[in-house]
Amino acid sequence: MTRPCRKGDTVEALIALAVGLMTAAGIYLMLRQRTFPVILGLALLSYAVNLFIFASGRLLRNAPPILTPGVTAYSDPLTQALVLTAIVISFAMTALIVIMALGAWLETGDDRIDMDPDP
Amino acid sequence: MNHWIIAPVILPAVLAPLIVLLMRNHLGPQRAVGLAGTAALLCVAVGLMILAGKGDPQVYHLGGWPAPFGIVLVLDRLAALMLVLTAALALIVQVYATVTGWDKRGQHFHALFLFQQMGLNGAFLTGDAFNLFVFFEVLLIASYGLMIHAGGRQRLRAGVQYVAFNLLGSTLFLFALATVYSVTGTLNMADLGVKVAALPEGDFALIRVAAVLLLLVFAIKGALVPLHFWLPATYANAPAPVAALFAVMTKVGLYATLRFGTLVFPPQTPATGSMPGDLLLPAGLITLIVGAAGVLGAGTFSRLSAFAAIASMGTAFVAVSIFTVPATAAALYYVIHSTLAIAALFLVCDLVSRQRDGDSLRHALPPMARGGMIAALYLVTAIAVAGLPPLSGFLGKLMILQAGRDSAALIWTVILVTSLVVIVGLSRAGSVMFWKAHEASADNRPRAVSEWPAVACVTVLLLLLAALSVFGQPVLEYTTATAAQLYDTAPYIAANALGEQVAP
Amino acid sequence: MTIALIAVLPFVGAVFPGLMIRAGRNACAIVTGLVTLTALILLASQAPAVLRGEVVHSRIAWLPGIGLNADFMLDGLGLLFAGLILTIGLLVILYARFYLAARDAMGQFFTFLMLFQGAMLGIVLSNNILLLLVFWELTSLSSFLLIGFWKHLPESRQGARMALVVTGSGGLAMIAGLLILGNIAGSYDLDVILSQREAIQASDAYLPALILILIGAFTKSAQFPFHFWLPQAMAAPTPVSAYLHSATMVKAGIFLMARLWPVLAGTDAWFYIVATTGLVTMVLGAVIGLFKHDLKALLAYSTISQLGLITMLLGFGTVPAATAAMFHIVNHATFKAALFMSAGIIDHAAHTRDIRRLGGLRKAMPVTFAVAGIAALAMAGIPPLNGFLSKEMMLEEAAHTVWGGNPWVLPALATVGALFSVAYSLRLIAHVFLRRAQPTAGTQPHDPGLGLMFGPALLSALVVAIGLLPMATAAWLVDASASAVTGTAVTVKIAHWHGFGSVALWLSALAIAGGAAALFGFPRLLRLWDATSRPDAKHLFDVAMAGAVRAARRVTDGAHDGTVTRFLAIATVVIVGSGVWAFRSGTHSPGLRTATSVEPVAVIGWLVLMTATVALLFHHRSRLFALMLVGIIGLIVSVGFAYLSAPDLAMTQVTVEVVTVLLLLLALNFLPKTTPDESTSGRRLRDAAIAAVAGAGSAALIYALMMRDFAFPTIAAYHLENAKALGGGTNVVNVILVDFRGYDTFGEITVLGIAALVIFALTEMILSAGPANDRLMALKPNRGDAGDRHPLLFVVVTRMILPLALMVGVFIFLRGHNLPGGGFIAGLIVSIALLMQYMASGFGWTAARKRIEYHALIGAGLLIAGLAGIGSWVFGAPFLSSAYTYVDLWPLETFELATAAIFDLGVFLTVLGAVMLALASLSRLAVRSGEDINRAPYDAPLQER
Repeated sequence: MTRPCRKGDTVEALIALAVGLMTAAGIYLMLRQRTFPVILGLALLSYAVNLFIFASGRLLRNAPPILTPGVTAYSDPLTQALVLTAIVISFAMTALIVIMALGAWLETGDDRIDMDPDP
Repeated sequence: MNHWIIAPVILPAVLAPLIVLLMRNHLGPQRAVGLAGTAALLCVAVGLMILAGKGDPQVYHLGGWPAPFGIVLVLDRLAALMLVLTAALALIVQVYATVTGWDKRGQHFHALFLFQQMGLNGAFLTGDAFNLFVFFEVLLIASYGLMIHAGGRQRLRAGVQYVAFNLLGSTLFLFALATVYSVTGTLNMADLGVKVAALPEGDFALIRVAAVLLLLVFAIKGALVPLHFWLPATYANAPAPVAALFAVMTKVGLYATLRFGTLVFPPQTPATGSMPGDLLLPAGLITLIVGAAGVLGAGTFSRLSAFAAIASMGTAFVAVSIFTVPATAAALYYVIHSTLAIAALFLVCDLVSRQRDGDSLRHALPPMARGGMIAALYLVTAIAVAGLPPLSGFLGKLMILQAGRDSAALIWTVILVTSLVVIVGLSRAGSVMFWKAHEASADNRPRAVSEWPAVACVTVLLLLLAALSVFGQPVLEYTTATAAQLYDTAPYIAANALGEQVAP
Repeated sequence: MTIALIAVLPFVGAVFPGLMIRAGRNACAIVTGLVTLTALILLASQAPAVLRGEVVHSRIAWLPGIGLNADFMLDGLGLLFAGLILTIGLLVILYARFYLAARDAMGQFFTFLMLFQGAMLGIVLSNNILLLLVFWELTSLSSFLLIGFWKHLPESRQGARMALVVTGSGGLAMIAGLLILGNIAGSYDLDVILSQREAIQASDAYLPALILILIGAFTKSAQFPFHFWLPQAMAAPTPVSAYLHSATMVKAGIFLMARLWPVLAGTDAWFYIVATTGLVTMVLGAVIGLFKHDLKALLAYSTISQLGLITMLLGFGTVPAATAAMFHIVNHATFKAALFMSAGIIDHAAHTRDIRRLGGLRKAMPVTFAVAGIAALAMAGIPPLNGFLSKEMMLEEAAHTVWGGNPWVLPALATVGALFSVAYSLRLIAHVFLRRAQPTAGTQPHDPGLGLMFGPALLSALVVAIGLLPMATAAWLVDASASAVTGTAVTVKIAHWHGFGSVALWLSALAIAGGAAALFGFPRLLRLWDATSRPDAKHLFDVAMAGAVRAARRVTDGAHDGTVTRFLAIATVVIVGSGVWAFRSGTHSPGLRTATSVEPVAVIGWLVLMTATVALLFHHRSRLFALMLVGIIGLIVSVGFAYLSAPDLAMTQVTVEVVTVLLLLLALNFLPKTTPDESTSGRRLRDAAIAAVAGAGSAALIYALMMRDFAFPTIAAYHLENAKALGGGTNVVNVILVDFRGYDTFGEITVLGIAALVIFALTEMILSAGPANDRLMALKPNRGDAGDRHPLLFVVVTRMILPLALMVGVFIFLRGHNLPGGGFIAGLIVSIALLMQYMASGFGWTAARKRIEYHALIGAGLLIAGLAGIGSWVFGAPFLSSAYTYVDLWPLETFELATAAIFDLGVFLTVLGAVMLALASLSRLAVRSGEDINRAPYDAPLQER
């Protein structure tokens, strides 16, 4: 999985594989039983989805969306803006869930994410 | 352009920071501003409802940018209806939280409460797919804060679960939106409606993926089986008033489903066709069954209420899945009913448990002060939740049954049988909580007497339900007009004035 | 309107008892009685018209949208039932006043009773089947409350629930049936439906509708096999039994069958279902009733049997049979109510209802004996009492009805039923009154006062009167009701003597003789009965109910046990699965874009990313290392953004990355440093599989998207075109953020602000006394680990770069609109600078020097952003409209100042406040956890493992 075949050796292929692997890793960590790996997993998922959104605007080299006279080709600025928003929001969410996990750990004395059998 | 359209978002967006900035250490002013703000929101919402009732949807071009390039808000009958419902419920719940002192048990209750409404209102008003995501996040993060308000062992852990599950949902939302944009090149919902309908056949597969992912996102919010698992622990562990407010949060998922199912992926669009309905009908039926079973099997009153909420969502989604004007009208009527009824159920649950240690349904608990009054409130609420006459639940179910007569064998059977199960569950719960009370050891005395103001709040909710029943006809007429407006998308799209300069 | 008023009155009246009880029990009862009396008078005022054959209507539109209207009508049938409900209601109220003990909540009782009365009147007066449904369910509810009135008795709680379940489920079936009926007829108005006999009986939906409706009727009227709830309902106070469970509610099912008789009756289906059910119920009820020892149980089964008789008559589908049914309704109501009230009197007097312990009451309670005796004889069908008359009519009809081609079945079984009802009636008289007194619990039973006695006495008088002069007393009512039921003008001829030629005469003679014989042979029969094993319906019901509850609990507690990891797994599978399904079910044409070629350097970076990710998978349990890897991944991603021409993204990603990792580090300071290895290999395999599928899905999806062109020109083209001209900025991303889609950013910083507030609230919660706080105090920060003592240099450098960082922040902020940067990034840079102060100099030190309240920052930031948006209203422009101008501020390059910049300032402040508040919260936790060194100005170990 880590080495793509020659023919598919394009930026698109690499990005797709990166998105795929990060998603997979994120999901796997999200399914652990302790809060910390779950948080890491969610962080990883947010990287994956940010890359996904960014790529969904199609890829372009050396064409930053900064208007400069004479240049006509720019990469899609909208998806970049969307990713920025997404980054900020996922940052807020991560910060919150970290502290919540911390609180839960301090309240209950263990950092399992599943409920205790029958409250 | 009518600036009132954005008021439901701006008002809390200004008041909440004010509270944080100036009065974060003084409960009194917080309460005053918070309650005044919600009351004002209710007035604005009612005003907007009248405005929306006047005719075609009205569009607010933010920043004066023409659609689809900027973000727009769209006020139509559906949006107005949800705004009023939210504000009305919020006001009652906020008063309840104030008179019972729930708001004292943690920081920033009223600010968060206003932010919560900001998120809800924003989601109902927006005409932009990505902006819908943003306001989903606003209402979610506010709900996280409210959910863990007052803290506690179980509540914190349930909170972490709730956040984790919804973070998955938010990520999914982003995947879906990126796919939508990547295929159509736009985010404005009206524009999406036009573009999706005109897609070349080669893009069908991808837009179908996007559609399904979006539906799943909304299904998570709307607690549709098998994506409902977050709800019981969350609602059962949230502070009762917050759970009562959450009764309208699940409706956001239903609202979004309805909006996208009629505007972006309507049945006549070739790419998606009848897919939404085909997926929602079985999901709704199973949700209804699971919810009803939960009502019968729940071990605590709060969990019972949570499952009642799931059942009500199932019923509403069954009605939505039919995607006809009468069915949608019925669904909306039922949404109004179930929001108020479930909220009342959670508040009654609070009245019961604040006097006792816990709210178990497996063994009797000691008698309560004002037990008769609370029992009466429970009885009426249970009648409403179970959908028994004469309250609106029965009328709503009648409407849904009539609208679903084409596949009667399936829909009728499930709805009627689950009604029976719910009746059994509620009657058993009631007889344990109120009739068996004397059998409990009297040594643990009632802790707090439920104050009259708290009782009054529940009563107001029940009176609203009664009004919903008595004035069923006008309400049904409004929801029918709303449904008709949803299926006639031309005016909505026209109002967006796609690609035209915005008149100052 | 009068009709509607009659139906509504009791509901209004239901309010009074609760209020009047304060004025005493008499006042309470009198008020209740007056309400009922008023309704009765109103009814009487309408009677003449009805008897003339008119039908009185009153219509109120309620929900025409679904065909549900408050339409009431009064015809002969309605008159008969309404009359019964109100007269017997009146007597019951009087009886209950003296029956209820002082400790019973009489106000509550009468309130429930009035609710029931209203519901019952509603049923019989409705001219709209949906309205009828409303009242139908209301009777179930009110009877639930009345049966459970003595809530301290377990049997009354169970009885109440069982009655609710059985009748309630019947009601639900009926909803479906009546809706179908309405669909066929095209209206839910009774008079419309009743006019469509042919259409309805021709429709395919006739049979399902019929069955569903009959389920409703049978459950309500305790017909076999739904009869078992009625005996359980006897746990109710006797007035309730007399009113609901003999005279009125249990006849609601009968009423419904009579009401729909014109459209439903006359078919084979109707005959075989209804008549057979009635017949079976009649015989079964009579037989069981004979062997019951509880007086009320005996009466309950006799009621079941008598209701079966009426059902059978309706089932015959002939006019005379229907007429006989109407007549028997009247008679049964009179003698059965009398008997129930007497049973209550005996119960009060002798303190037992057990027939085996009763006896000799003829001497002790002569009046009761007379009253009950007459009623019982009527029940037995002894001439000349009214029971005899209607039973003769029944036998007459049965004798002439062929069942399944066999002329003998019906008359034979009908006679058996009659025989046993004679037997139990006679047993009641003989064992309770005639035989010598049994050794009862030493009490001296005696007749009660007039209050209790009046009701039954009056009813028994009626029994005699109707029996002697049927034509004068009852015929008019029977005619009116029978005509209404059958839709043909009926004039009944009731006589005692039809000559020796009448079969009925011989059959009832046979029945009476046999009944008497059965009484003499009772002990032997009883032994036989006890010897035979019988299925107990109640037991079966309880078993079924228990099973349902167990299953439900498995769903609730089993599937919803809070195992969120399973929930997430399920969700992932569902998401991926439906995504794949959606793709495969649609047509897909592969994309035609030419892929971007890649330089080796990119591949290297990519390899690092992949390796780090894989490494993370395998080493995530050592948390510090995992965190480090996450940091690396984030950095590579941001490099990737830079590489693919997204400088803003790169900058943001980097800064966010730093802050996130730092926050996680500080949190990890309190959390365990390793994740225990607790998942089984099977579990890991499962999760890996799910994860792999999800990853593959997302990869395939994004690849498919990247390789194709947009189906339509994107809206981004507009943004590129107009960013400079209309937005006044060359950094299109930033212009989008603060202008084109500034509203998104507005929402986004709100999220950030809220997050900070919640974090703060949470910290307050943790720091307030409680287990969390104790654990925090107990937590000993582990120190003395070489390697993380910061050299003095680091501390000094951080202090020095602070102002520099602030400068950079301002610069980044200002240039943002044209070049990569902006409020958000600037905010993060400044907070990182402050963050480093914390790290270097310690929480305590920095907290002590904290000048600004971070709350204020957040509040101010959000306000500024909001007001910047609102400002545009002043110019009549919509929210967040911007204007701009150019400013030349030495030494910085010329930059353009847009009102958007004010908005961006709000962003900046919110970000700064939010990050710092989150951090400060963590620092407070650290301080509380007894971290004192860092209060010292310098060389503070960073608490991190």
